[in-house]
Amino acid sequence: MSFSIPAPTRLRMAFALAALLVASQTWASGAIGDHVNAMADHIEQYSGEVAWLIGKVDSMVDTYAKDGAEAAAPAALVDYWEAVDFHSAIETHYIPLYASIWQGLFGVRTAIEQGVPVAQVREEQARLERVLWQSLGAVKMAAQYQARGLLPRVETTSADTPRESVDVIKQRLDRVLAKYAEQLPKEAIGIVQETYLNLFEGIEGALIEQDAELVEELELDFNVTLPTAIQDGKPVNDVRAVIQAMQDKLDTCKALLTAAEQSRGKVF
Amino acid sequence: MRRRVFVAAAAGALGAWPWLASRAQAPSVASLPALEGELTLYLGRGEGGLYENVLAAIEERNPKFTLKVRRGPTAALANAIVAEAGAGVRRADVFWAVDAGAIGLVDNAGLARELPTDLTGQLQAQFRYPNWAPVSGRIRTLPFFTGRLAATDIPTDIMALPDTGLKIGWAPAYASFQSFITAMRILEGDAATADWLRRTRANARSYAGELGVVMGVERGEVDIGFANHYYTLRLKSGKPDASVALAFTRDDAGCLVNASGILALAPGELPVNFIRYLFSREVQSYLAREAYELPLVSGVAGPAGLPPLASLAPPQVDLTRLADLKPTLDLMRDSGVL
Repeated sequence: MSFSIPAPTRLRMAFALAALLVASQTWASGAIGDHVNAMADHIEQYSGEVAWLIGKVDSMVDTYAKDGAEAAAPAALVDYWEAVDFHSAIETHYIPLYASIWQGLFGVRTAIEQGVPVAQVREEQARLERVLWQSLGAVKMAAQYQARGLLPRVETTSADTPRESVDVIKQRLDRVLAKYAEQLPKEAIGIVQETYLNLFEGIEGALIEQDAELVEELELDFNVTLPTAIQDGKPVNDVRAVIQAMQDKLDTCKALLTAAEQSRGKVF
Repeated sequence: MRRRVFVAAAAGALGAWPWLASRAQAPSVASLPALEGELTLYLGRGEGGLYENVLAAIEERNPKFTLKVRRGPTAALANAIVAEAGAGVRRADVFWAVDAGAIGLVDNAGLARELPTDLTGQLQAQFRYPNWAPVSGRIRTLPFFTGRLAATDIPTDIMALPDTGLKIGWAPAYASFQSFITAMRILEGDAATADWLRRTRANARSYAGELGVVMGVERGEVDIGFANHYYTLRLKSGKPDASVALAFTRDDAGCLVNASGILALAPGELPVNFIRYLFSREVQSYLAREAYELPLVSGVAGPAGLPPLASLAPPQVDLTRLADLKPTLDLMRDSGVL
């Protein structure tokens, strides 16, 4: 089976992957195999897994069209996804797409469980397939960078400066969305709280000297807006919008911290 | 009711404390021996970038000196040091921890080397320990909403605060708050602390962190809060007209001074001489100026907006005992606070 990634998408992926070169990587727990540090050797495997997964979804929708929701057993979608190594590859290298895959999986599953017309299920299926191919493209590109030694090894790393902390916080927020899309709201909120206490708290002292109102907004986002959106079961896209807004504010924070650092006096 | 001392008070007029006269002045870096060789420092995360700046400056000043740094959460590094010693290896030569409790863990394991008295003698008497040195401090404060309160409305006795009827902001899940409660347990006992927690809870509003507490005070959501001093100073720096000021209790857990601390694990002069740089006038001034930390040495001004430490009355507490958190957490849970 062949596929292609449109040029604009390739450009976006390249830009995002380049950003990974300068950012620390951090995620929570989960079984992640060594293959994620040797992705070039596993591209064929990942490609096969994506094709297999798409085939399973297609077959499930066919069954739904023919015999109904019970026969289709849509809950198995999650098992299929968790069975493939590609799962870890995309999770560790491009978490925004990882979130979109979960969103797509639940899109198909929910559509079947709700007994919507087959045409609508096919639309969800097509969305899921698009994001799976896009993700495979992202992993292939990351594998090239990795093979050239341009990606850090996959391991939990720490942030040593406030500016690095901002990058890690943004990644953690991506993971919050991924967990929410995975329909694990408690875990998502746990990451929000842990990120606030262990990372944002560490930089807000320096930030408040620069822009007290911005810190106040982010305090509200971390402690009220985002947890409430998750607790209330808002659609994934709504939670994504909250997180995107927070990440935009964090970009402003990084610029402020950079400017503050440049104007800081010397020790000796 | 005892009355409070607060930021605007003419604190210097209260006079110096007796121990001040016996302290050596912090030396200038120019008088310190050059560092040569290699050291491995285990650095607990704290004022991340600022500590990094200090370390980079020390290395830059000493071209024949190489510093290897392992960074991580303070408690994890302390546990690693103890575990490594148990396995018969020593990877760290020096340990710089953001809280004294972690220092206590390592010191109690018998791993810390005695520091020379000319170095520890730079510190105020109550902050002198044989095997480690507090690098800089933070003091517990009562930020209050100036839109409703005058400084005279606030007691100087932390145990009396719940009786005022003031609406209080606190962050019980926050590590500094839990150290404060641990100090209260040490000073007042478990029964009095549990009673205080229950009485305070009746008028308390919880925040996730202590900057949140200070901001809640500033917005007038609560009358008063519990927080380390630097949050208010930083908020005032970014927002000079913020409606918040600082009050201090006297000689109780409400004005506890906690500290980051450093100890030498390796023998020889290099670890000790490296530590001397952290106690130089220049580094201490930098941490006070940029991180709003409280110098515990003589001859260095504290952060702007804070009364001199000599005018305050922090309690005498062995800071390494603040690591004993489990009874504190149990007490807080039993009191319905956590």
